Amino acid sequence: MSKHLLKFTVNGKKHALVVQSHERLLDVLRDRLGLKGTKEGCSTGDCGICAVLMDGKLVNSCLVFAIQARNKEILTIEGVGTAENLHPIQRAFMKWNASQCGYCIPAMILASKELLDKNPNPTSEDIRKATSGIICRCTGYVKIFEAIKTAAAEMKASD
Amino acid sequence: MTTQTTEGLRRPQTLIVGKSVGRVDSLDKVLGKPIYTMDITPENALYLKVVRSSVSHALLKKVDLSRARKYPGVVAVVTAQDIPGINESSALLPDKPLFATDRVRFAGEPIAAIASFDPSIAEEALELVDIEYEPLPTVFSPTEALEPDSPKIHTNGNVAKHLKVRKGDVEEGFKQADIIVEGTYKTPFQEPVPLEPEAGFVIPEPDGSVTCVGSIQSPYHVQTGIAKILSLRSEQVRVIQAATGGAFGPKSDEIPVDVLGMAALVAIRTRKPAVLAYTREESMIGHTKRHPFVISLKVGVKNNGKLTAWEAKLIADTGAYASLGPLVVIRACFHATGPYVIPNVKTDAYCVYTNNTMAGSFRGFGGPQAHFAAESHMDEIAKKLGMDPLELRLINMLRPGTLTATSQLVDEGCGLEECITKAVKESDWYNKRLQYTKLNGAKKRGLGIAIMYHGNSLGPEGNDFGTVHMQIDRDGTTRLRTALTEYGTGAPSGLLQIAAETMHLPLGYFKLDASDTEYCGDSGPTVASRTITIGGRATQMVAGNLGRKLRQVAADMLQSSVDDVEVTDGVYRRKSTEQSVTFLDVVAHAYANGIPLKETGTFTAPKCDYEPQTSQGTVYLQYTYGAVTAEVEVDTETGRVQVLKIVTAYDVGKAINPISLEGQIEGGTIQGLGYALMEEMIHKNGVVVNPNLGDYYVPTSLDVPEMKSIIVEYPGALGPFGAKAIGEPPIVLPAPAIVNAIDNAIGVRLNEIPATPDRVLLALRKATAQS
Repeated sequence: MSKHLLKFTVNGKKHALVVQSHERLLDVLRDRLGLKGTKEGCSTGDCGICAVLMDGKLVNSCLVFAIQARNKEILTIEGVGTAENLHPIQRAFMKWNASQCGYCIPAMILASKELLDKNPNPTSEDIRKATSGIICRCTGYVKIFEAIKTAAAEMKASD
Repeated sequence: MTTQTTEGLRRPQTLIVGKSVGRVDSLDKVLGKPIYTMDITPENALYLKVVRSSVSHALLKKVDLSRARKYPGVVAVVTAQDIPGINESSALLPDKPLFATDRVRFAGEPIAAIASFDPSIAEEALELVDIEYEPLPTVFSPTEALEPDSPKIHTNGNVAKHLKVRKGDVEEGFKQADIIVEGTYKTPFQEPVPLEPEAGFVIPEPDGSVTCVGSIQSPYHVQTGIAKILSLRSEQVRVIQAATGGAFGPKSDEIPVDVLGMAALVAIRTRKPAVLAYTREESMIGHTKRHPFVISLKVGVKNNGKLTAWEAKLIADTGAYASLGPLVVIRACFHATGPYVIPNVKTDAYCVYTNNTMAGSFRGFGGPQAHFAAESHMDEIAKKLGMDPLELRLINMLRPGTLTATSQLVDEGCGLEECITKAVKESDWYNKRLQYTKLNGAKKRGLGIAIMYHGNSLGPEGNDFGTVHMQIDRDGTTRLRTALTEYGTGAPSGLLQIAAETMHLPLGYFKLDASDTEYCGDSGPTVASRTITIGGRATQMVAGNLGRKLRQVAADMLQSSVDDVEVTDGVYRRKSTEQSVTFLDVVAHAYANGIPLKETGTFTAPKCDYEPQTSQGTVYLQYTYGAVTAEVEVDTETGRVQVLKIVTAYDVGKAINPISLEGQIEGGTIQGLGYALMEEMIHKNGVVVNPNLGDYYVPTSLDVPEMKSIIVEYPGALGPFGAKAIGEPPIVLPAPAIVNAIDNAIGVRLNEIPATPDRVLLALRKATAQS
């Protein structure tokens, strides 16, 4: 089993790790860096709840080899906001009670961030498409859509 | 159409209850805090992988684990022989072993578990297990399993439960009818898909007890189950619920006992913490799903639309083990006529064993299947009568003063008519039904309706009680804890609102503690949407007692009598002098004087009273009512059905937290849309062929139609402030409403769901061939 040096940035912090070829980004984030906010739901890329942003683009971390993150910038939910300094998307999810069981919420928030970073004025259709890779089994998605609309408005107002 | 006025109903005035407020669990969840089971696993733990049967019915001739035991890195292999207590992990009937010993009854049944510090080693060792099966005759169809010469899955036969409803005389009712309409309806195995697959870990304690942590609904069911397996006293098994990433039913019964039971065996043998997390595939095969039903209906009706007789036969496939199938069948049986007044009823419901994977608890619990059949059939009857299906429903629906199929008197807390009226208005029923008949082209549109009632809480399904503990800390933090768990519903947050309302204190002081058997008394299972109805009553009781205690302390401080003290928003005021003290003053005074600010209480619902042979009487203590309309577009060339709009109107008694309530309604509605159009666990010879989320489809954000939720409030007799169950009901009606809309669009009845493009095209072809 060959080993590789992985240098990458996670939530703004630089890391250098030795990883094996088959190690998944998901496991490196959860088990090596202790970032448990990224969840595992199916391990086959179907549910989307392990999604993180890699160079600003949403990827399923169960389908990405750790080594594919070399020299990339990864953003996980832990890098989005803190209790003292919530991101507007997190605030909006709380406002709408858009989190029920909460298991898909880190991925949903990152999908929302990818959308709103690129498109500050999303239509309903844009919002549906941006979240379509992530399964939420609790909410029926409606409050999630509302939260994203609210966050978009707040982010625009604070620009 | 008369509309019952809601004025005059006694509605309690509330300040905090009834307001849309944030859930207490939201902050940790939006921050991605490590709160779920697999986020908090102990260091130096062993990880288990489960050896499962690959065949659906066989004698185990040989189970050779020797190569797996010797595989480098494998620390322990456990089987039934390692069980110090009883080899049982069941929900209701003692029919299911934790590990199969001499015989397996479904493909996926656990036989052994392998533990290693490295989960991938345990997984590799699975390949080294050598099992020899001697096939036994199989049966996969519940109707075939009912036949006398069918293979027997268990020694006492294939019927786990037969329940009857007998009211009046159906033969007499059929004689009075102008027409009789018959039909048979089929529903699939629906997979709950909680996004977090089953997970748990067990820590062996130095004193021989164990601590179990997991993704669970019902801590006390786990405690009882693990104690039995380990031969420990219940109190030696501590069960703590970690944040639970969805449940929907399967995490309430034997499945968490499977997970934690296997881990516990490894933990007590190795004296190391042991972790077991199911893969998605294991979860989909191993846990309970919604029972498939075959429902045959024969209904008599007069030309004026009055129903005269309703005969129903319901056959439920519970798979290889009963789980809660017998109780699912009770609920289905009691709801098999839909929410209608029918003088003569004869219902027979059977819970039947097969060699399929297990069915059990899943949101709705027999209600969706019963209503799919009843509500599809009402449209068929309307078609035969040449009547608007809405009119047929209005003629026959339950209203205050009428009797249900079990001759239970419908009380004033019945807002069914208002639900229908409001949903119909919002859907633009008459106008659209007319417009859509004029559409040309391959894409047709239709509008359908379905209505329901849903017996609240356990009713005949078990002892219905809830226990709540509250204590006030020195800083005023008022903590509530209960073994009624939070697994996504938001209901425990609702308990805090009820407590704050009852004590007249700001909601900000209230916190929810973890569900932990060490600190929470038994509350029964967290199922049947009973957290608000039953737990809410216990909360009112406990908060009432604690509130009185605070007023007594305030009265002492104000040198007054309790009766002269009133409290508003955390300020205690002596009415006669206008002197006041704050909540925090009162708490400080209580602590300084050694007055304990702790209360515990259990609310037990009255027993339901009905005659067991005929099921006549009170079967549930209150009902939730609802009406749903669905508007669809059917592509007659591809068979694809797109839902354009769903309107829901539910009589919830009292909305404790309207925004959370809407969330429950929307979530249940979309699960119901999945049940209608795409969700089906497919078994081939008992083997699940689509145990993954690529081949088992659940609705995504792209499937969500325009939605409108209407809340109607007719206070019920049971719940706090008149609140009724709402967790389960929203999954019931989308399927019949959508299938009725499809029929309205293309004139073809689908008797079986899901209404996949294949089924729609086939039904269209059949209809064309027949005409």
